[in-house]
Amino acid sequence: MSEKNERQLRIVGFLCNWCSYGGADTAGVCRFKQPPLLRIIRIPCTGRMDPLFVVKALAQGADGVLVSGCHPKDCHYAVGNFYARRRLELVKRFLPFVGLDPRRFHYTWVSASEGQRWQEVVTEFSAVIQELGPNPGIGADTPMETAGQAASAFA
Amino acid sequence: MDTLHAHLEALFDDLELVIGWETGYEPLRPTPAFLRSREDLSRLVWNPLCAPNLSVYLPGILKDAKETGKKIGVCLKGCDSRSLGALVQEGFVERERLYVVGLPCPGTVDPEALAEARKSSAPVTHVSFRDGLLAITSRDGTEEIELERVLARRCRRCRHPNPLHADVILGDPVPPRRTEPSFSDVDAVEAMSLEERRAYWEEELSRCLRCYACRNACPLCVCRDRCLAESRTPKWTTQRDGVRDKFLFHMIHALHLAGRCTECGECERVCPVGIPVALFKEKMARIALELWDYQAGTDPAATPPLQTFDPSETGI
Amino acid sequence: MEQAFFLADAELQEALAGLSAQADVWVPASDARKPGLVRFRRFQPGLTVRLDARSLVSAKEVLFPRSETLLRFTKEKDLSVPAGHRIHLDDARTVRPVVVFGCRPCDARGFLTFDPVFTKGPYRDPYYSERREKTTFVSLVCRDADAACFCSAVGSGPADPEGSDAQLIPVDGGYVLRPVTERGAALLEPIGRTAAPEQIREAQDVLDQVGRETVGEGSLTTLAEAFRARFQDPAFWHAHIDKCLSCGLCTFVCPTCYCFTITDEARGLNGERIRSWDACMFPHFTLEASGHNPRPSKVERYRNRVGHKFSYFPARYGQVACCGCGRCVRHCPVSVDIRAVVRDLPAQEEAHA
Repeated sequence: MSEKNERQLRIVGFLCNWCSYGGADTAGVCRFKQPPLLRIIRIPCTGRMDPLFVVKALAQGADGVLVSGCHPKDCHYAVGNFYARRRLELVKRFLPFVGLDPRRFHYTWVSASEGQRWQEVVTEFSAVIQELGPNPGIGADTPMETAGQAASAFA
Repeated sequence: MDTLHAHLEALFDDLELVIGWETGYEPLRPTPAFLRSREDLSRLVWNPLCAPNLSVYLPGILKDAKETGKKIGVCLKGCDSRSLGALVQEGFVERERLYVVGLPCPGTVDPEALAEARKSSAPVTHVSFRDGLLAITSRDGTEEIELERVLARRCRRCRHPNPLHADVILGDPVPPRRTEPSFSDVDAVEAMSLEERRAYWEEELSRCLRCYACRNACPLCVCRDRCLAESRTPKWTTQRDGVRDKFLFHMIHALHLAGRCTECGECERVCPVGIPVALFKEKMARIALELWDYQAGTDPAATPPLQTFDPSETGI
Repeated sequence: MEQAFFLADAELQEALAGLSAQADVWVPASDARKPGLVRFRRFQPGLTVRLDARSLVSAKEVLFPRSETLLRFTKEKDLSVPAGHRIHLDDARTVRPVVVFGCRPCDARGFLTFDPVFTKGPYRDPYYSERREKTTFVSLVCRDADAACFCSAVGSGPADPEGSDAQLIPVDGGYVLRPVTERGAALLEPIGRTAAPEQIREAQDVLDQVGRETVGEGSLTTLAEAFRARFQDPAFWHAHIDKCLSCGLCTFVCPTCYCFTITDEARGLNGERIRSWDACMFPHFTLEASGHNPRPSKVERYRNRVGHKFSYFPARYGQVACCGCGRCVRHCPVSVDIRAVVRDLPAQEEAHA
């Protein structure tokens, strides 16, 4: 029972529909074992990634943020990940300035056929987050928010 | 000063209006002025207290202006002119509809520093500026204060005292205080540990009132009435008074200025509680400089780095 | 001055600590990181109390917090009811007595604008009213008006006792405390010793001298009609307001601006209903569900601010909704001067056309 009260570490994953989401699926179909930290949000393309998604998740206390899309020059929409690459690199370099640990944010490229690679990406990043432990976020939770978390954990 | 009046006087028939500064409720507070008649021109002032960046008004005024074929005159300092450049780059301002009077700028005054430097606290009746000295007159007499002592933070790191993109430059060029981009204040924050930085910003941002003056004074905050920070769907921030929501608002502001901020420092100047919010944008500007060798607003023909890409980029 | 107490400068901290035992004491204090920034803070020993400095935000936030929880709610899953869940509400609150110590007369007077709106009429606001009833205002007779101040122009003045329960009068070596209301007298009794006759005389001299001062030119209290005549004069409003940035600074620092919004902020199965400051300078303030906005630009928004303070409010409650503290003028990023706008309302010449 004591484990239940200990907050589990959580990684938010933003995966492009065409490559990395497929890659994660391939890994699943192949029954590759992965650490259970990741929660996936499917986005149409990494070009959809607003750098604010990363900042908001980390400010609110997500322990890690992983973004993955098609390999450069292999984007379903031809150039979406080229735009994304610039934005994601910018936010990666900006995070430490405001006191957010840049190691909690990782972006990479995984194709739909790379189930093996997906397993490696998730395992390596999860190990980093396990090592870093819980993310304090920015600004303490209000009592209401803490109560909300506790209640939804038991729901 | 006289050159400015004479120059605009001579041109006024060809101008719809002139945007400049006039004396506000006290001589220490010049306020933006929209001068619509020849007589109005006499109200125009120009000195190191003329802090507001007038390019903030340009997208709105051009949108509302009647098509008279006349140009709109605007007085811009060096940093203001970079904002104009960025607005032209992004298509918010048609450069050919403006007549830009560039004013080489000796630097602007930090009001708090000035209040501290003054010996008298009596209401000011007159202000003049010559050879780097502000002469401030009140009932206690005239005090002379070196501008260098009371300079705003943004001006200490200024590389562009001389306006870019101007139709005419009135006044002698000012030697820039910096020839290379200077990020010493960003460095000072980065000298702290990660935990210290988080604590620093939590403390600073806890003072935020969410009055949104920083956003509204920003010439590049072009969303105006449609800002994400106040949107309920999607809901980015709550109405709670905690640091987290204040932080998120400032991240929205900073990230939307990535690769666009022209470092005019207006956000920081207008902040009533003195949060150094411009540091976020300076950090962004530095990243844009490092990654793409880009300085917003210096080249009206350039494409902002986040609106384009380079397939051959490696390392990122 | 029949009854008065004396408080030496050196005894101030001790007196405030004494008051804190029975109430939340709010004082103007400077920020550790920004010594020039003075705001109202809850007193605790060691706080740098700054009775000598004007505060940035008025004492408004003491009685009308920037964000306040009106109630908390919890959803509980229950399949026996048609909705599939029950909602539990909790609006329990405790209201502690409050003392606002060392505000300026304008700060205390600002609440006279709140009172008729929140405590009288068909809709009495329990949150504000309960706090208001337990609050005592001790205001400092003001001797350092600046170029933005205009309390005399709205029928007040730097020694105005209206709205205050007691007055602090600066004298040699400390303050003379003069009760204005019975509540003020009850508060002062334990913290000061009876003032000596010469101290009372000195205080009376200060009061007389400050009372004679005029802060701000003319009178801005009788322009309700002029405003209505100017309402549809776009040239007038443009001439004054083209420079406005439409931020909310003027309304947030204002002691009399009381507009708010109410939102539900929930996460998971829990949430709270919050009342937070809103401002008529913001576009969302009047944005309708259809997408139509009856005040589409800053011109209409600022006109509303002027109208509310100097025309609509006086028409309804018989007093202007402005205490002349000058904060909106002093802190405006582009120095918009509401005095100039209001003063020009009746001007006949069409110079702006």
